[in-house]
Amino acid sequence: MLTRGTLIYIAQRLALILFTLIVVSFLVFITVHSLPGSAFESEKVHGKALQLVLHEYGLDRPILVQYWSFFTNAIHGNLGVSFQIRGLPITPVVMRELSVSAELGGTALLITIGLGTTFGVLAAIRQNSWVDYTLTSIAVVGYSVPSFVLAGLGVLIFSYWLPTVTNGVISYPAEWSGTYGTILELSLPAIILGFYTSGQVTRITRAAMLEVLQQDYIRTARAKGLKSRVVTVRHALRNALIPVISILGPLVISIITGSVIIENIFGIPGLGKEFVESILQADYNITVAVFTVYALLIGIANLIVDLLYTVVDPRIRY
Amino acid sequence: MRVNKFTIGGIGLGVLGLLTAAACGSTSTPSTSTLASAQVLHFPVFQDPGTFDPGEITAEVDSELMQNVFDNLWRFDNNLNIVPDIATAVPTQANGGISADGLTYTVHLNPAAKFSNGDAVTSKDVLYSWNRAAALQGGYASNLAKVQGYSAVQKAAGAAPTSGTPTTFQGNIETQLKAGNPAFMMSGLTAIDPETVQIKLSGACGWCLTAWTLESTSGAIVDQKAIEAPGVDPVNWWQTPANLVGTGAYKLTSYVPKQSMTFSVVPNWWGSPKPTLQTINIDIKDPSTAPTTVDAFFQKGYDIIGYGGDSALIPLANILAVKANSREAPDLLTKAKGRTTWVGFNIGYPATGGPFLGTGAAATGLRMAFDLAVDKQGLATTVCHNLICSAATGGLITAGLIGNGGANSDPLAKFDPVQAKSLLKQYDPTGSLTAHIIYSYNAGSLNESAAEYLQNEWKTNLGVNVTLNSVSDASIFISSYLAGKYMMSREGWQFDYNHPQDWYDNLWGSISTADGLNATGWDNATYDSTLKTADAESLTTALPLYMQLGQILQSNVVYIPLYYSVSNFLIQPYVSGAGSNAAFDHYWDGIKILSH
Repeated sequence: MLTRGTLIYIAQRLALILFTLIVVSFLVFITVHSLPGSAFESEKVHGKALQLVLHEYGLDRPILVQYWSFFTNAIHGNLGVSFQIRGLPITPVVMRELSVSAELGGTALLITIGLGTTFGVLAAIRQNSWVDYTLTSIAVVGYSVPSFVLAGLGVLIFSYWLPTVTNGVISYPAEWSGTYGTILELSLPAIILGFYTSGQVTRITRAAMLEVLQQDYIRTARAKGLKSRVVTVRHALRNALIPVISILGPLVISIITGSVIIENIFGIPGLGKEFVESILQADYNITVAVFTVYALLIGIANLIVDLLYTVVDPRIRY
Repeated sequence: MRVNKFTIGGIGLGVLGLLTAAACGSTSTPSTSTLASAQVLHFPVFQDPGTFDPGEITAEVDSELMQNVFDNLWRFDNNLNIVPDIATAVPTQANGGISADGLTYTVHLNPAAKFSNGDAVTSKDVLYSWNRAAALQGGYASNLAKVQGYSAVQKAAGAAPTSGTPTTFQGNIETQLKAGNPAFMMSGLTAIDPETVQIKLSGACGWCLTAWTLESTSGAIVDQKAIEAPGVDPVNWWQTPANLVGTGAYKLTSYVPKQSMTFSVVPNWWGSPKPTLQTINIDIKDPSTAPTTVDAFFQKGYDIIGYGGDSALIPLANILAVKANSREAPDLLTKAKGRTTWVGFNIGYPATGGPFLGTGAAATGLRMAFDLAVDKQGLATTVCHNLICSAATGGLITAGLIGNGGANSDPLAKFDPVQAKSLLKQYDPTGSLTAHIIYSYNAGSLNESAAEYLQNEWKTNLGVNVTLNSVSDASIFISSYLAGKYMMSREGWQFDYNHPQDWYDNLWGSISTADGLNATGWDNATYDSTLKTADAESLTTALPLYMQLGQILQSNVVYIPLYYSVSNFLIQPYVSGAGSNAAFDHYWDGIKILSH
């Protein structure tokens, strides 16, 4: 149930997100428009022809006028047009790519939480056993090795080495065949993207579980004769999840930023790939749009995580 | 049944015949020439379309695709000959298509010609298309520059205003053309009747017909009704398949930006040859995926690699691997492309400076020294493995094109390190002039390895240390080199149409200088006057003059010839009729998918 205080809190946070979006989009807009290079200039388009094209896209206007035009269009849901694909409205493209990234990011988040909490709980309840050492070691590797290294290794092993060794029997497609990935296509990038963050979740879950398992109420529960599984899952895990949720915000941000690298390595047609391509192609409008969407996603993710606190811990009120 | 020796012999012969037939077939070659039931062609391109608007097209990938959607009055056949397309004949003075003074062309349209939406093509469509292209002032608008009234239309359309709402420029052109504003119509274009167009030129022009034939650009015929239909955006009209109406054998039926395109055959298409292919599926891929796309080809995931202007994107490593594999090698098609790459000098920009500046003996001698110090054959072998380029020894114009001088005809193609060293010693005895030379190039393609090769050649054969300046952003490189900001740089030209004017006018002529295209800044009165004369003559008369222009460039050591580009395609054996010439992919209407 949303209280009045919660609603006010949400409104304040939304206002803050809006302010952040304006600042971020303004800074990115100014920056990318100050970069040398042009999406239009070529051996065939230069001089007067170039001036005409720049005018056509309003790029010969003062930078603040251009930003105001972008801003007023953006609040109506129009993020402008592409320069590389002349006149292509960006908004539908960005929304499609956002859904692709969401597919990847959502799967990676499930892997992060699923794998991380499972490993963390197992490591805690088998503290100082080989299970604990193994899972903790995996977690250390997870958050120590950058995702782009794992991604490169993944492509090398599953797309090149294994197909060669097995004569094509085991083969991972080096790029997605369609807009959305199949389960097979999605598996490797999602695991690699989620592996890094799952290591952190494992570590925090383990620590939280160890602390909770020492609490009096856990001892009481055991003394009452409750089964170990019930004590672990129903009494210990729920409380141990609070610190995990507290880092969900940074984890989501990590997944969003990590997807930029993963999407480019695996050829996934999402926002991250678009972000890099738009910079390389000087397609400024797309760069600004994607950056702004990223800022929006991060703002909303943080808001959702903050609201989740009230669900997990009823003592928390806004 | 009684078995006798004739029966046994007959059976034996039959078995032998079957074995022979089986042996003649191979796993990679279709056993018959019968057509496959599904006439679908599937290939990737490695770049999104910039625009499919013929008035604006400048990118090769766009042009390669749209040559199957739009027609011009004439077209280049697969051997680059000009043949009728929407027009009924190629105009000549003999057939009355060109007046005696060469200033008036009369063009009769094929009454059968129709747009893909069923609209008949009339002379008004030709006028609209050409006037629109002139007013838009796109990259190839200058192909129409000799039509009377061209400059007036461009003036009316307006130079870029310093303020105003975006899209005013194109929107205004459509509005004015719809209203029939004569200021937006070239005075040299007249619709004599619905099937006859008269083109009057402002001066004699030997290259115009070839330029007007350049597919998918300013000479292409578009449907005014489709572009000016209510609610159609004058800028991005082409992105909606229903709006992209041409007269070609195919039409766009689906376009998902950054992902895919689908083209379908136009039912009962008016032209010839009658197309067999029904559907063309194109995946839009990232260039970095080219190696995996080659893998996909050999797993039968694609029918062709290299179509759509992407024949240079197959990595050399993949080409070498394919060549070395006897099973895969037959699928590789290698074709010389009309692109030449050379080293350009700063000759005419004093602000940039450098030892090559000017036309004096010292500057010319130093240019010659740097030229003779480069082994061009060695470059083709070392950098290109003689697979993706060949040494440029026949002059600026690529081998196989009109105006090429023939193998080893270019004196600048020689490699003479002794003479090079001697010239350097003569004109820079202390080494001070050549102590700080920088060679600039845009990163990518062969430029990196070619630059390193050149650096090594100059170091080895001249003892000069040249600094390499790799520019990662191509647009920055282009704007800088067109502005004459580089002492020495990679330069190149991909021909638009098979006429020497395309090279000599666009690179060093007075037109290029006025357009800011003369990257070296080299200017020569004899060159300009000879070029002007040649441009006004028929090709037969003009060719010796164009050859003279090549010699003027050579005697002034304006460039160091490096290589002619070679493209590589992978084509499945069951794809009949696919291929390429020096300019473009073979048209889809000549392709058939055989049983396989």
